[in-house]
Amino acid sequence: MNTVMNTQTAMRPCTRVYLLLVVLTLVTFAVGHFDLLSGSRALVLSLLVLGFALIKGQLIGDFFMGLKGLRGPWRFVILLWLLIPGTLITIAFTLAG
Amino acid sequence: MSATLTAAPPVRYPPGDLAIWIFILAELAVFAIFFASYAFARMGDVAMFNEYQATLDKGAALINTLTLITSSYFVVRALAAIREDQRKTSVRWLLAALAMGALFLVVKSAEYVHHFGEGVRLSSNTFYMFYLSLTFFHFLHVVLGMVILAAVALKTHQGAYSASEHTGMETGGVYWHMVDLVWLILFPLVYVMR
Repeated sequence: MNTVMNTQTAMRPCTRVYLLLVVLTLVTFAVGHFDLLSGSRALVLSLLVLGFALIKGQLIGDFFMGLKGLRGPWRFVILLWLLIPGTLITIAFTLAG
Repeated sequence: MSATLTAAPPVRYPPGDLAIWIFILAELAVFAIFFASYAFARMGDVAMFNEYQATLDKGAALINTLTLITSSYFVVRALAAIREDQRKTSVRWLLAALAMGALFLVVKSAEYVHHFGEGVRLSSNTFYMFYLSLTFFHFLHVVLGMVILAAVALKTHQGAYSASEHTGMETGGVYWHMVDLVWLILFPLVYVMR
């Protein structure tokens, strides 16, 4: 019984993260599917969608890969990786207009 | 005083074998270069990239994204189960994760069949060159991840992992999460952003 309770307690944050990942994915799809990325708001919404992807990546790193709570440089390895392509993509899309 | 004595020591290294993390960093660096190359190549002909991006099946990409996220969650559940010495439960979660991986491959393959049927090739244009090479490179990583997960599931079934020793499962798990992580950037970049 205790074992079951421990597993459930430990899984709770990961289950919440999973549901958040699903919601952010559905929002990303809706932005593309309903053709919201046209006209003057295309760049802003594209970068918003990219922002969602970076948040999702950090959640995967922290909660699924187990980096949350680490001490030292490994704590930030996924964040660093996300920021490098994230920044370059932002620059390229902004310059392209 | 007693609180100091019973406090868990700070953890400095990530779960799993450190070697897999070095491998993962190398893989992530390659994908980062791919993503940046796509974004900067797009600057050369935005209209063409937008036109051909519209031919992609966003519904299939949504299914595949949800599939990989769910699969990653199942691997987390498998790890939580083995940490409680629930070996059979852990194997079941790993098999469920593998089934999700297989679904990803089926959906992605159907997309490729459709595009090839339409005459799309690597040489068709720059957009399709990036689309096919990026997604197929990722596809191969899904295949490798599934081979690793299958090996982990077999070893778990054979009793190789327990609550006290499950480094191998953590190692396989973080590789699978990396495959998921890469797709989470690839999906909006190639299918949605314009």
